[in-house]
Amino acid sequence: MELLSRRTQQRLRGLPFYLLLTLATVITLVPIIWVFASALKSNKEIRGNPLALPGEWRFQNYIDAWFGASFDAYFFNSIFITVTSVGLVLILSSLAAYSFAKMRFRGNQLLFFIFLFGMAFPLSAKLGPLLSLMYELNLANSRFGLILVYVAGSLPFAILMLRAFFQGFPQELEDSAALDGCSRFQFYLRILLPLSKPSLMALGIFVFMGTWNEFFQALLLINEDSKRTLPLGLTAFQDEYFTDFALSFAGINITAVPVIIVYIMFQRNLIEGITVGSLK
Amino acid sequence: MAQSFSAPRKRAAGPRFRIDLMPYLFILPAVIIYVIFNLGPVLASFFLSFFRWDLLSPTTEFIGFKHYNFILNDARFWNALSHNFIFLGLAVVIPVSMGLFLAVFIYEIRKGRVFFRAALFLPAIFSGVVIAYVWKWIYHPFAGVLNPILELVGLGAFTQSWLGNPKIALYSTFIAYTWASFGYSMVIFLAGLQDISTDIFDAARVDGANFRQKLFYITIPCLYDVFTFVITLRIFTAMGVFGVIYILTGGGPFYSSDVIDIYVFRMIGNYEMGWATAAATVNTVVVVFISTGFIKWREWRSWSS
Repeated sequence: MELLSRRTQQRLRGLPFYLLLTLATVITLVPIIWVFASALKSNKEIRGNPLALPGEWRFQNYIDAWFGASFDAYFFNSIFITVTSVGLVLILSSLAAYSFAKMRFRGNQLLFFIFLFGMAFPLSAKLGPLLSLMYELNLANSRFGLILVYVAGSLPFAILMLRAFFQGFPQELEDSAALDGCSRFQFYLRILLPLSKPSLMALGIFVFMGTWNEFFQALLLINEDSKRTLPLGLTAFQDEYFTDFALSFAGINITAVPVIIVYIMFQRNLIEGITVGSLK
Repeated sequence: MAQSFSAPRKRAAGPRFRIDLMPYLFILPAVIIYVIFNLGPVLASFFLSFFRWDLLSPTTEFIGFKHYNFILNDARFWNALSHNFIFLGLAVVIPVSMGLFLAVFIYEIRKGRVFFRAALFLPAIFSGVVIAYVWKWIYHPFAGVLNPILELVGLGAFTQSWLGNPKIALYSTFIAYTWASFGYSMVIFLAGLQDISTDIFDAARVDGANFRQKLFYITIPCLYDVFTFVITLRIFTAMGVFGVIYILTGGGPFYSSDVIDIYVFRMIGNYEMGWATAAATVNTVVVVFISTGFIKWREWRSWSS
């Protein structure tokens, strides 16, 4: 009897928190829900009452929006650039982080500090010479060039995070592998990487989101429509269709949906990537 | 004794010491890409700010602080920088405290933690472009939803042109920024809370501590280092805000929401590379000064107390 009342008491104690959290969630999600609802309305409905729900669901808006700009090209570019960048970041940063974490050599500290240095600068600190460099190397207006810029931008954080993780590996593991005649590269490939899967996953999703969403450098380096990424393509689309409300809303959603899907699938990995990196 | 990788391998019979190249080979690919496409341009930006150059002509001529002289006397530069400072001041208070409270609320409940965390973090996953367009439509004079909602709840007097009014455009962009940033602070605080030993909270409950006492005497002191990190993150994002403002207002109307990164971007667009690099360098010095100063101050405070 007493146990039960205590339980109820505890539940009642939690109630205000549930109410506040529900309120916060509603306020947070309403803009997204509203954009999705508006994308199904006609322009007349939107003008008439922006708050009302769609009378009939006009999925045609999405089809019109899709064909209103080169969304297929934007999608291809975003997927190609992001997947390649994430792959390169994972390979390069895990190699470097292994060396920084587990090998003793002259200049270890200094080289690591040089990487850390890159995290202290605002993005604008490199833009002028970067643009000039990309033109010199014939990498301006190129997907490959953008990939290199994104990889270079992600490496400092990736190396910092993986180094901290690799340092936690017990020395005995390496020692016994060495005894079995396992070279350092084999150890990296066969033991270190498979054992680091959760960390690589978290880092990979984190870098994926950052690269997929990047806008500033893409805006600076890409000026051909067929090479635009999704965020850049959305700005071009919105500039063209800003008077066509329904289509504009649909265009936002076309850009947002892939991110939402990835988020639903990898929500835990993403948040782990953010928090593990930050608390270490 | 097991031989360790980290010990330099020496040939027992060899008279000469061999340098182990493996560690360098592992780092080399990362170093090459990082130096060419990240660190190099940063350093070049600093050096080139003392030269006359532009994208089109390859000639450079040393002119000392001339570009800085221009930048530091340009009212628009200070105008933009002051807006970054307004952003900074608001950003270290509003999204951070929202994140703290929501994290504490989530920590206090038993069921539904994962759901609330995931739902409240949702806006933070989008590109600044998507965030800006969502809010551009919320603020829109005909199709927007903010003014009708204000009228609905009897605050019709507050309806206005959110992005067209020079007095409030900057704050309108800040709301969009906040919507997309409090989630970051929240998940980091929540992870920090889960690292605190539950014994402390149990002891506090036995002693009859209420919510407010737990917050001020346990939670906030225990999250000292987490606060430092969360606020440092806000310093960087507030000083480097670009996409949201670029799309919502382009820095306007009448430069009322201009910020440094838009200022620099505009200079680059006009091929004024000297001014762009000088402005970027001043901004870098300011950001590094504020962030390292803040971190040092926090470290000093935690030692001295």
